[in-house]
Order: sequence, then structure tokens, then C-alpha cells
Amino acid sequence: MAKLAVTQPSGSNLNEKRTIGQKIKEFAVDFWRQRELQSMIIPGIIFMIIFCYIPIYGLTIAFKSYTVIDTLDSAPWVGMENFKIIMSDRYFWDAVINTLGISFLKLGIGFIIPIILAIMIYELSFTRMKKFVQTVSYLPHFLSWIVLGGMMINWFSTTGLFNQILLDLGIISKGQNILLDPGKYWWIATLSDIWKEAGWGTILYLAIMAKIDPTYYEAAKIDGASRLRQIWNITLPNMRSIISLNLILTVSGLLGSNLDQTLVLMNSQNREKAEVINSYVYRMGLTQGDFSYATAVGLGVSIVSVILLVTANKVTSKLNDNQSVL
Amino acid sequence: MIKMNRVLRKKGLSLGAILLAVMLTITACGSGGGGGSKSASLPDLDGRYTPDPSTPAWKLDTKKETTDLTWYVNADWWNTDFGKDTVTKKIKEDLNINIKFITGDDTKLNTFFAGGDMPDIITVFDSNSAVAQKASTWALPLNDLAEKYDPYFNQVAAKDTMNWFQQKDGKTYGYPDYSNTQADYDSGDIPAKTAFIIRQDVYEAIGKPSMKTPEEFVSAMEKIKSQFPSLIPFGFNSIGTGTGSLGDVLQDYLGVPLEDKDGKFYNRNLDEDYLTWLKTLNTVYRNGDISDDSFADDGTAFEEKVKSGKYATILLDGVPQQGGNLQTFMTNNPEDKYIAVDGPQSTVGNQPTLNQSGITGWMINYITKKAKDPAKAIQVFTYLLSDEGQALVNFGIEGETYKKNSDGTVEFLPAVKELQLTNSDKFKKDYRMGEFIFFGHDRYKALNKDSSPEAIKQLQEWGNGKLKPHFILENINPDQGTPEARSLSAIDTTWNTTLVSLIRAKTDDDFNKTLDAYKKFLDENNWSKIVEIRSEKMQANRDKLGIK
Repeated sequence: MAKLAVTQPSGSNLNEKRTIGQKIKEFAVDFWRQRELQSMIIPGIIFMIIFCYIPIYGLTIAFKSYTVIDTLDSAPWVGMENFKIIMSDRYFWDAVINTLGISFLKLGIGFIIPIILAIMIYELSFTRMKKFVQTVSYLPHFLSWIVLGGMMINWFSTTGLFNQILLDLGIISKGQNILLDPGKYWWIATLSDIWKEAGWGTILYLAIMAKIDPTYYEAAKIDGASRLRQIWNITLPNMRSIISLNLILTVSGLLGSNLDQTLVLMNSQNREKAEVINSYVYRMGLTQGDFSYATAVGLGVSIVSVILLVTANKVTSKLNDNQSVL
Repeated sequence: MIKMNRVLRKKGLSLGAILLAVMLTITACGSGGGGGSKSASLPDLDGRYTPDPSTPAWKLDTKKETTDLTWYVNADWWNTDFGKDTVTKKIKEDLNINIKFITGDDTKLNTFFAGGDMPDIITVFDSNSAVAQKASTWALPLNDLAEKYDPYFNQVAAKDTMNWFQQKDGKTYGYPDYSNTQADYDSGDIPAKTAFIIRQDVYEAIGKPSMKTPEEFVSAMEKIKSQFPSLIPFGFNSIGTGTGSLGDVLQDYLGVPLEDKDGKFYNRNLDEDYLTWLKTLNTVYRNGDISDDSFADDGTAFEEKVKSGKYATILLDGVPQQGGNLQTFMTNNPEDKYIAVDGPQSTVGNQPTLNQSGITGWMINYITKKAKDPAKAIQVFTYLLSDEGQALVNFGIEGETYKKNSDGTVEFLPAVKELQLTNSDKFKKDYRMGEFIFFGHDRYKALNKDSSPEAIKQLQEWGNGKLKPHFILENINPDQGTPEARSLSAIDTTWNTTLVSLIRAKTDDDFNKTLDAYKKFLDENNWSKIVEIRSEKMQANRDKLGIK
């Protein structure tokens, strides 16, 4: 700790009189003194440079006409051409609408459900039941969309589980494959995603709830607060920061709606409502070999996502007494 | 300046990191670009042998030391073993080579081009891709290689195929496998790969009706439903992003013309005869004889149903690929099997024009400009294309794995056949027959009746005489990356949806509206320009093949 204190830039007037050479020397000395600490961060920096920063150069292909046999340098520049095409591409805009539609449904419903579920689990006093509910709700998270999607295609088939239950209950008279119904796709995507992830989403909340001081509750009980009152006045306020953090992360991912899910559940009939930006980029980039176009879309999406992230951070910090989470 | 310095000091580390990143980026990019656009000059043979047009060069080559070749295959599933099984061991001995296979995807391929460190031989899967189209920049012309090192190559390479892949400079750079020429079609050696099949027990129970006209077809499906309620009366290949077997496969069944009267591109999707049959399928669907699930099933779900005999009838594309599943059903149900019968036929009297692998073939092989011993590389091509090489990769070694019959056909020796039937994994591992397919061709497969499972033999026989080349329609799409290619991709996607919607239409009115919407979509999406490009490319195809 003492070593660390030495390296704090003092910013005093004395420092300003030193030459650049001295400063470099000082920096080197400081660096050497804390070499053990610095060496821990170096692998991380190198990793970031190689896998996160160097690939950024690859974004230039969004402004080029690039094919497999070109290098990043040899592909001819085409300026904003790819972006112009995106603007007039109906399929792209369909994909944007679907992505936003599905994402907002997921945000509206899928964001609140883990919070409610976490509170319900937290309020359960029977420990075994608590463990059981947690395990059951986590389980789908560990299955990939390939498996879950296959199961869903099976369940929704005309003779599958879903139709069988409806037939037995007398709700319908003939099996229908709802995966072929574009009007229902957004709901299928949203609800199946909630089923898969809601349980997993409770982990953070449960962790934060475990840290709430039990004396708050005791005091509240003495004051005669009901269970709901306790949740409202103690549990929720204590979860505020983690809820904001989650919201920021979710909002920044609005445009990145689940690719795996779409690729498994999309078919020729529900495509108009199922195609999301990611699956569109996948189709254009990988199956059509139109790398430049796909990169241009990806770049645009990234920029919008950053804007969303910053906006969400601003909004939540306003709600959180001007305390920013990021 | 002082302020700057303070910032610099504060941010020293991160700035350093960024600088390092920029430097690394520049170096990373600087090394690229050496992919090789230099014109190729072929090295001399240095007296290793004198090329002779009547003898393959690999028999003449006196090079003592073993040649190491690197062969890149743009597919992750390729088995990279070499020299361990019967087939590759013999190749290794005969040619005195050692092949190191590398596999990967487009990204890896790109790394080779960008890094300039090319393998000797490259095999890719799309002869319409940029890699193939710009082959002259990175591959050696086969014509020059043959002339300088191995004139015998010209005897084993099919002339039509060489012409087909000729580039603007008059040279051919790549050679494909499964490329069928007109002569192959004429010979009758290549089997059909599509069939309308029905379960034999079902067929007999409903009184072996004719299903050639729309009315007959609809009524046969009704009979199936009433007598076999647990079966799906009519099935077809999984639709996915294409059309399953309800697009061009059905069109081929009905003999929809390939071109219009003037030899221009003809939109087969809007052919009246074909639309009549789509209306028929719509009737069948409305009667409840096509399951909605068929439109949502993926390939695996479809195969599962074939395997368990869930479909009463199937319009099946890719008979050999379903061979295993059909065989499983037949083995599990010795009394029942799927048989091919005359299914839907043209309402205006056209004959079926079934398609097979065209002259474009499948995989395509190139020798790169960086090949260390191009003479050896072309020898490998010649060897694998010759009868000798083809016999080896398909049947193994005479006397060791197969014997020749007096009629020219071949059969596996009993022990080999036994292993093929009982332990196909060991069979593949030990012998690898029929798997070294870089220059594979169906005409050699046809010589060995053991090469196809029992269950598909009748299916393939049914197709005899019904094949017609579709050469003029090959590779006629607009070039990748052009606006027309993008429009076409949108049109194809729309057709995929339209086709399913037509069959699932609730009323005749629905059907017509869906069709009109598709026509309108064509008009709005550059269709006339695409037709123009396709017609031009069809003419170019005709010129290449010498078709009037």
C-alpha cells in the first residue's frame, strides 16, 4: 500500500518544472517499483490489444468492396456505398423493426420477471423448496438454443405436446403449428427467452438481497410493516443499484436480439416477423459472402448500441440521485 | 504544453498501449498483400523426366526424395489422414508424395491469401465465388502445367469441363469433381437423384392407383388418409431457406421448359403447368393431406420421419443422401419399403427432365502459384483423374479389395463387403474407398453395385432415361456483391415464402393474391435486369458448350 501511495501523481507546482526526460525517467522508476502489480495487468492489456483493438481496423471493410481473396489493403474503397444500400434495403428495416419489437417485449416483460421471481424465492422460508425452485428455474439456461429450439419445434408441431394439451382441454378442434404463424412469433420469441433466462437472471438479485441487513426487517416488523410493505420499503430500494446496472446492460443490447434463437425458430412463413438484425447480418455476410455489407450493418448497430448505453446510463443516474453506475 | 505533459504522464500507460496497438496494426497489415499477383513462370524440370503425351508423368518422374505437398480443403469435416488407409497409402507409394491436409473455413482461406503463405493445392466448394472467379491471380493455369509437365493430363481431363471453367484469358485454373458432361448424361451411367416414392404396403392397399394427373393425385392422397390415418399422406424435403423439393425439383418432374422460345431466361416459377400443380398441392393441403409440420421441419426432423416411414409418399430430392435412412426403414420393416412410381406429371404433355449434378460439379481443385513442385501437383491431378486413380479411390486395389467381372463391373471381395455391412466405421478407416472424392465421378461408382444401399436401387433405376442436362442454367446468377445479386437474394427469399404460402392458401382468392404479390415484388426489385444478365450468361454457356 505504501508503494502505491508513492506513485499517485501529485500534480503540484514542483512537478511542472521538470523536463520531459525527467518525467519519463520517473515514470520508468515508478513502473519498476510496482512491477509486481503492473505485471498483473499487462497480460490483460496485451489481450485487449490483440483481440479487441487490432480487429477494429477490420471495420474499414465496411467502406470497401471486400471479398475472400482480398486483403484489408487491397480491397477497393467504395466510400459510403454500403451504407447507402442499407438505407434503401427493405429487408434490413424489417429486421430492425423485428429486433426492436422483440427486444422491447423482452425488456418490458423479461426484465421485471426475474426481479419478481427473485423476491418470491427470497421470501420462501422453506429452504428445500427454495433450492428446488432455484434449480428448476436455472436449468433451461444451461441448454443451448439448438436443443431448446429443437424441443420447441417438436412441442409446437401439429401432433406435439402443446397442441395435444389444447386438444385434450377442448380449446381447439384441430392441431395448428403456431411457429408458422407470423403474428405470434414475437410472443413465442419473448416468452421462450424468459423461460430460458428468468431463473438465471435472479442470481444477481438474490446475491444483493442476501447482503441486506436483517435488522432493517426486524425493525420494520416491530413497526408493524406487512410483508409487502417490507418488500416495497426495504428489499426494492436496496436492489436499486443492481437493477439500474442490469437495465443499462439490457438496453445497450437492445439491437443484439438473440441470433441462436432466431436461427432455430425462423422458417419460411414467420420470416417477415422473425428476421432480426443479427440473423440478417449472418445471412448476408456468411451465406451470401457480402462481407462489406454485413460489416457496415454491424458497425451501424454498434454505434446505435453505444448511444443507447450512454442514454440509459444518463437516465438511470437521474433516477438514482445522480449516481452513475458506470 | 505543460498541461499536455501532465495528461501524458497520467495517461502514459494507456497511450503507450494505443501506440503499440497502432504499430502492431500497421505491421499486421503491412505483411499482407503478398497473395501473389505476380505472373507465374513455371520452374524447369531439370532433367527429372521428358514429358510424354502418351504416358502419365508420375510414371516417368525420377525424383528420388519424397515430395511434401500441403493441400488446403475449405471444409472442416474433411478427414485429414494421409497414408494410413488402403487408398491413400497407394497414392503415397505410386506418386512418392506426402500430403499434409489442412482444413478450415473462408476465414482461414482469407488468411492464406492475405498472408501470402499459400498451400500447394486448394480445394473450395463454390465455383461461383470470388475465390474461383479471380483464380488467375493466385492459381496456375492447368493448360500450361499440362503442356510443360504432364501432357497426359489432357487425355484424362474432360474437354467440356475444361472449356466450362475457362476464364477470360482462355485458360482453365480449376478442375472440379462430379462434373457431368453431355457424354455422361448420354451414357446413362449416372443415376437419377430425385424420385416420387411411396410405401409399398400403402401403394398396394390403395389399389396401386395412377397419380399422374392432379385429380388422380388428390384422390390418391384422400385414400391414403382414410386408410392410413396415422401417416402423413404427402411429404417433401425440408424447406429451410430454399424450396425443398417443391421448387425446381417438382418443375423438373413436370418438364417445365428451361428457357423460353428465344433461348432467353424463363421464369419457371410462373409456368402455368407448374402453377396448376401448386394449386393441386393447395387442394391436397386444404384436404388435410399435407402436414403443417412439413413446412417447419428442419433436415433432421425430415430424415427422422423418412427413417420411421412416417410419410406415405415423398417427393424426394437427394436419393443417395437419404440412402441410409431409407435402408434403415427397409431393414426394420422387411415387408415394407419405399418404391419409386410415376408421380405428378405435366398437364400439357411435357416429359420429365430430371436434373443431376451439372457440369459445374461440386468441389473445385486448384494448384497455387506458390506450389513448391508444380510438376508433382499436376501429376496428382492426372493420377486421380485417370481410370487407374478412379478405380483406386472407388474400389481399392484389384485382388486385395475388389475383383473385376467379365462384363466390366466390379465387386468387393467377400471380406471387404462383410466389413462394409457390419462395421462401416472400420471399413472407412481401413480402406477409405469412395471417400477420397476430390476428383470423384458417378460413372465409376456405377460400375460397383455395392456402392449404393439396396433400398435406393429401384429408386435410381426408375429414373433411367429421364435425366436431362441443365447446363445452360448453371452459374447464371448476377456476380456476388452487385446490386442485382442483392435483389436476387431478396427475390429468392420472397419466393421461398410465397411458395409455402401458395400451398397453405386458405382460399383460391388467397392463392391468387399471394401470387400477384410475388409478381409485383419481381417488378419492384430489378427483375428485368436480372433476367437480362441471366440471358446473357445463358448465351455464354451455350458458346462454351458449343450448343446452338
